[in-house]
Amino acid sequence: MSITVEVHGVHKSYRDATRRVEVLAGVELTAKAGELVAVVGPSGSGKSTLLHLLGALDQPDSGEITIGGQLLGRLGRRRLATFRNRTIGFVFQFHRLLPDFDALENVMMPGRIAGIEPARVREDAQRLLHEVGLEDRLDHFPNQLSGGERQRVAICRALLMEPPLLLADEPTGNLDPTAAEQVFELLLDLQRRHRTTTVLVTHNPALAARCGRILRLENGALHAQT
Amino acid sequence: MGLPLPWILASRYLWGGRRDAYVVFLSVLAIVGIAMGVAALILVLGGLSGLQDFLRSDVLSRTLHVEVELPPDADAAALCRSLGEIGGVVEAQPILRGRGWLLFGGTAVHVQAVGFEGLLPRSFPLARGSATPEGDNGVYVGDALARRWALEVGDLVDVVSPRPTLTPFGPQPRSHRLRLAGIFRTGRTEDDDQRIAVPLQVARRLFGAHESRIEIKTANLEAALEIADEVTLAVPEGSRVRTWRELNRALFFALKLEKVVMFAALLLIVTVAAVALTTVLALLISSKRGDIGMLLAMGATEGQMQLAFLLHGSLLGAIGLLIGGSFGIGGAHLLDRFRLITPPGDIYFLDHIPFLVELGDLAAVLVATVALIGASTLYAARRAAALGPVEALRI
Repeated sequence: MSITVEVHGVHKSYRDATRRVEVLAGVELTAKAGELVAVVGPSGSGKSTLLHLLGALDQPDSGEITIGGQLLGRLGRRRLATFRNRTIGFVFQFHRLLPDFDALENVMMPGRIAGIEPARVREDAQRLLHEVGLEDRLDHFPNQLSGGERQRVAICRALLMEPPLLLADEPTGNLDPTAAEQVFELLLDLQRRHRTTTVLVTHNPALAARCGRILRLENGALHAQT
Repeated sequence: MGLPLPWILASRYLWGGRRDAYVVFLSVLAIVGIAMGVAALILVLGGLSGLQDFLRSDVLSRTLHVEVELPPDADAAALCRSLGEIGGVVEAQPILRGRGWLLFGGTAVHVQAVGFEGLLPRSFPLARGSATPEGDNGVYVGDALARRWALEVGDLVDVVSPRPTLTPFGPQPRSHRLRLAGIFRTGRTEDDDQRIAVPLQVARRLFGAHESRIEIKTANLEAALEIADEVTLAVPEGSRVRTWRELNRALFFALKLEKVVMFAALLLIVTVAAVALTTVLALLISSKRGDIGMLLAMGATEGQMQLAFLLHGSLLGAIGLLIGGSFGIGGAHLLDRFRLITPPGDIYFLDHIPFLVELGDLAAVLVATVALIGASTLYAARRAAALGPVEALRI
């Protein structure tokens, strides 16, 4: 299942101690259903801000973001929460696993938030963890897992609800090269098999080169990179 | 359907998963604080209730049921007869009050004298001697005065009035020599040291009939309240009818005030513990900030986050309340059952402090503690809900 992402004229600025900093200045983006788009750019160029806006975690100062035909600006807080739960999967640079819950419980969490029958969610979570080779790590807490394993659990969690859109913010940025390669391969494989529309933010040109399309965020705007 | 998300989070932060030693330490501290406050409240209120119950019973067992203060020209004897016919009245006894001095062995003490007819009034609980003086020759003194002067039943004492008698040699003090008929003990030092009871005729001769009263005895305290209106109609104009409730109003008010003030003072312990609970929750929210951000990103609502921390704080508070309540009620029971607190008998009129845990007190402690815990927890939980997902993820 996949979905289209359309961003038109999005502006976003922040106020720091002395001045207003415009991070995004009229961003335009269209990602087709099932497409894998890499967003690259220097640090502080607004890549994470863009991802937060696409993930309905934040709102733009102006402009429109439409995901799967749904204009995000028209949704209230509760519907935005439901939208995030059902439509979007997040993978962050730091795994962001909940330290008080084991691997299986972490993967089950989006299903528990949605109020789905625990037995069904458990079954799906076990299947996903099995798919990524962590079937013997189900009851391990995050601090008992390696960096690569944590990130694989985070990917399973992002995919549990079978979201049509996956947003990944430097998913391999915190891993050693071997683990980074394994995680990225896994991400590509899952994206291909589930045909999930994916926006991937990365610093790594080699990883970006393996994505379908590369966009460079510079001076607050996205530019196609060949 | 499994547990809702707020319950999953609250229970896990309380007793599951990875433990943050500092948060655990502060949580235990908050629980102990609440438990101590609740236990102290229940124990102290239980002790106060026990003491007050004893004091109230003691006072009410000796109090006048109904007292009628008569105008100067009233015929007390005739009124006693007519009041005696009112249904519910067991006995109506004329009483006369006056102030004078008691003399014995060259020393004098200022006393309040109560003149009575027939049996010694119930406000003078007899410790030694006879309740009926022989003829008009008898006086009753309190236990404290009797001990101070080493008086024994049968000793002769003089009662002197401030009203002089005019004689050809000028005004002379009125005095009357009386035999000590008995010694009473009320338990109140002032009464046992400064009150005496004398036969009515003696009182009339010494003090005149200015402070003439009638004491009415009824079957019980409730009956006294029921007949008060009827008595008011039966006595002449200018009379003042007071029941035991009005006569002891100041004492009962003082007892109630004492309890309220003590409750408010001890509630400060629970208040401090509730503030500590807010700190614990604030710390927990701060340490779980990233988790909150991730949960919001996964679709949890701000309301669910608020409820999770509200539940967590309430669970900590409930544990404290339960432990404190058990210690308080159990402790009060043991202290009362085994009479573990024994005040010095020569100072207090009790051989042990009785404890009485009243349902009303427990309800007050429960309501006050729940309100304080609820307010402090709600404050912290609202802060958790106010964190936006981006703000929470930015750590």
